[in-house]
Amino acid sequence: MTAERKAGDITAVRRVINWLGLGLFALLGVAAVVPLFLIIGDVYIKGIDAINRLGGLWHFLTGLPPTPYEESGGIGPMLVGTLYMTVLGALLGIAVGFPLGVYIGEMRREKFSNVARAGVNVLVEFPTIVIGLFVYAVMSLAKEDLNLYLLDPLSRTISPVGGWITQFIGPLDGFNAYAGAAALSIIMIPYVALITASAYSSIEQPLREAAYATGGREFNALFVVLRKAVSRAVITAALLGTAKIAGETAPLLFTAFGNFYYGPFTGPTAAVPLWVWYAAQTPYEVQIASAYGAAAVLLTIILTIFIIARIRG
Amino acid sequence: MLGFLLVVLLIPYLIAAYALLFVKLRWGLRLFGAFIVATIGLLTAMFFVEAYPIIARDGVAVFLQTGWDPVRESYGVLQALTGTVLTSAVAMALAMPMALGVAVTINEILPTRWRGVFGSLVDLTATMPTVIYGLWGLFVLGPTLQSLVNTLARDTMTSPYTLFTAGVLLAIMITPYAAAVIREGYALVPKPVEEAIYAVGATRFEAALIKLRYVKNYILGGFFLALGRAMGETVAVAMVVGGNFVRFTTNIFESGITISSLIALQFPNAASYQYMVPALFAGALLLTLFGLAINAVAIYIIQRGQI
Amino acid sequence: MAPQMFTWSKTFYQVTGGKIQVNYQSIGSGAGAAQFLEKKLDFGASDVPMPRDKYEQIAGRFVQFPVVIGSIVMAYNVPEIAYQKTGKYLNLTAEVISLIYMGEIKQWCDARIKALNPGLADKLPCKDIVAVHRSDGSGTTAAFTLYLTRAYQPWNQTVGWSYTVDWPADKKAKGTGAKGNEGVAQAVLQTPYSIGYIEFAYWAKNKDKYDQVGGVAFVRNDNDGKYYFPTVENVATGAAAGLERYTRKYGTKPAPEADWNPVSIEFSNPPQGYPIMSFTYVFLWKDYAAEGYGDAATKAALLKEFFKWVLTDGQKQENVVEGYIPLPSEVAKIGLEALNLVKP
Repeated sequence: MTAERKAGDITAVRRVINWLGLGLFALLGVAAVVPLFLIIGDVYIKGIDAINRLGGLWHFLTGLPPTPYEESGGIGPMLVGTLYMTVLGALLGIAVGFPLGVYIGEMRREKFSNVARAGVNVLVEFPTIVIGLFVYAVMSLAKEDLNLYLLDPLSRTISPVGGWITQFIGPLDGFNAYAGAAALSIIMIPYVALITASAYSSIEQPLREAAYATGGREFNALFVVLRKAVSRAVITAALLGTAKIAGETAPLLFTAFGNFYYGPFTGPTAAVPLWVWYAAQTPYEVQIASAYGAAAVLLTIILTIFIIARIRG
Repeated sequence: MLGFLLVVLLIPYLIAAYALLFVKLRWGLRLFGAFIVATIGLLTAMFFVEAYPIIARDGVAVFLQTGWDPVRESYGVLQALTGTVLTSAVAMALAMPMALGVAVTINEILPTRWRGVFGSLVDLTATMPTVIYGLWGLFVLGPTLQSLVNTLARDTMTSPYTLFTAGVLLAIMITPYAAAVIREGYALVPKPVEEAIYAVGATRFEAALIKLRYVKNYILGGFFLALGRAMGETVAVAMVVGGNFVRFTTNIFESGITISSLIALQFPNAASYQYMVPALFAGALLLTLFGLAINAVAIYIIQRGQI
Repeated sequence: MAPQMFTWSKTFYQVTGGKIQVNYQSIGSGAGAAQFLEKKLDFGASDVPMPRDKYEQIAGRFVQFPVVIGSIVMAYNVPEIAYQKTGKYLNLTAEVISLIYMGEIKQWCDARIKALNPGLADKLPCKDIVAVHRSDGSGTTAAFTLYLTRAYQPWNQTVGWSYTVDWPADKKAKGTGAKGNEGVAQAVLQTPYSIGYIEFAYWAKNKDKYDQVGGVAFVRNDNDGKYYFPTVENVATGAAAGLERYTRKYGTKPAPEADWNPVSIEFSNPPQGYPIMSFTYVFLWKDYAAEGYGDAATKAALLKEFFKWVLTDGQKQENVVEGYIPLPSEVAKIGLEALNLVKP
């Protein structure tokens, strides 16, 4: 009799603790996610209002940014710059990140592979501004010779193609889109590599053996037979990595620099996050508004990529 | 010439590596591994080279001094280092409980249908552009925190933009990183262990605590991952930390500076001075070495747990 | 100078039918000079001339010339004495401003501030002054600190002047930094009991907002003892007086290849007029091809065309943004001479 009553008391106390404890965890968990809604709400409410005030969606997506004394404006050059640098950065990021990921995921027994993996871990959340500085330093070293020996002659040979080619290929200015894309790709490579590596290392041994057995050459086994097993993860990695670098600001500060106009990619290039960074810190209403509009556009791009990645994966 | 060669040889290197994949797969893969190792080596080397002038002149004093005096060419990054440490500390103190909360909420509390959605929301928080966090911090979080703190203790925060503001913003940004690692570990708790926990009559809360203790290596790993991220964040911090880089302060309710934001603010005009560029690179070097150390510890801990 | 440069750039773009783009980014004068020297930018703009040591390194290879005159105002946020409330603005002197930024005057109710403002003395609250300064390298800081250096000797001895300085107020009192003129302007608006130095244009655009929380100060010109309010006329008076003092001292107008530091020293704290102002200078290389720029001939030609417009049509009233003062025509001529020295 006494034993039952005792057990009942303890259970009651434990039950209360259970509810309180789980409640606390739930509160903390929700607290982690609530700011997301606050931020998305704030950006869209102010951003959509700003886009309407600044001339409507089409004008906002194609027009030039407003001076402090104008009433309307847009982020046309920024959008183009972001698209160009993100696509280039993502292509390079996947092109190098994927094989790298295969290396550190599949060939784990090699010492060098572990060294490479450590390197990837270090690089994956390196302060992005430092990566921008690195590209800035390399660019400063390389620019003059690069222009002199490679790009000047190159642009002269291909100029018959048409004037438009100078927008893409030609002697580089100190700040240009390619430096920006390079910095972005250095950020994306470790990210893609890690997810690829984890996809490959989570393949169960029997499946791997089967792939090697039926696949013939190792190349076939790894990339053709196993592709279904890893493609989901790799595509998700590619999409999420692209979303990540589309939103990066710090690495572009000293590489792409920013521009108010549609300019050649061999010169300073605009980017949406750079504009938000700059315009939000001005005391001019019209520019702050355009920062919110730009943030709304950026958020939409990222959300779209994110949702596509989630649906596919 | 060196830079030129570096850039020009890059394309053929990558093409060769790719070609090699089809011929001798393993060697091709190794070339990619070498690429990343070379990149990190180059990075660190470059920082050493750039920072050398001021280390040669002042020794380690540049890391131990406060004060930023371009007129007298005297630079110290201690106040920036302190700022980095303080904002990271505040961020970690707030983020770790939230990350644990996320892991337990997803795995113990939510019904299965909701787990995917909630998990995606947490991942989305990680993918959001940092400049948008900065924007929100600038116009919403800063002023809100200022009113909040000042209602509790009058005149504590004279400006909406302080180390505390930066710390809170960072906490929101880094929680998903820690949460991702903890979730991964939590899901790897073996079934027999889980069944045993419930077999001895634990409540769900007690089960959660036991499982968390079981995966404490992952929690530590998540801790270090988030810490590395917090120390390196630049843009969001620069927008809300207050930009006061001269005064050495340990009061988190005052404006301050971190190493990353110091670089972001002072680098553009650094070439006008003789020793400022080296000083900033010295700060970058410090940050790099810290990051390397933290990552090394994190990897060690996670790997030890995996055996 | 960003609002003016940005507006010139946009107007010129429209005037040329969209053919010529001049991309100007507001990164601070120190950065403008620095990145120009690093050859990362085609031209640099700054509120102070090329610093003496850098000038010596590149003398003869570049030209510098003024494009517009700007001035710096002392904006403050003290709700008790806001202009909207009291109808009065604060009077300040170089000494008091220096002492605030040196951290010696820590509160608004300090006797020295009261002495200058008998009409507002009883309303000044005993709150700590938050002295806002730039956290990035800035020509505005340089011009401001140059003025304090020239007007108040102790400032010269303890702090000096440069794009970035070691502000004693940060250590001894409640000094704080903000990024860009934009940042300081916003910081003063949002931080109660703060004071900050910002370009005229940033204050002028938001004058009403500042009047609600405080206002802008009358600054005493120690040379003639009068208090001047920042207006276009008062700044123009100061500019003319400063230029005259230089011409009397050196006998000639400055040349584009010369070191303009002596000019800015004579220009700062002029014999009369609003005392805190500066020329905005533009730096151009004389030979872009020799300096290693790609596409040098086209670049040089475009730059010359843009700045020729800036120095002629750009000086007309409709193209000058509120808060900036057009150049006297003799000074604009110096710029046009400079353009002739740029190849081709």
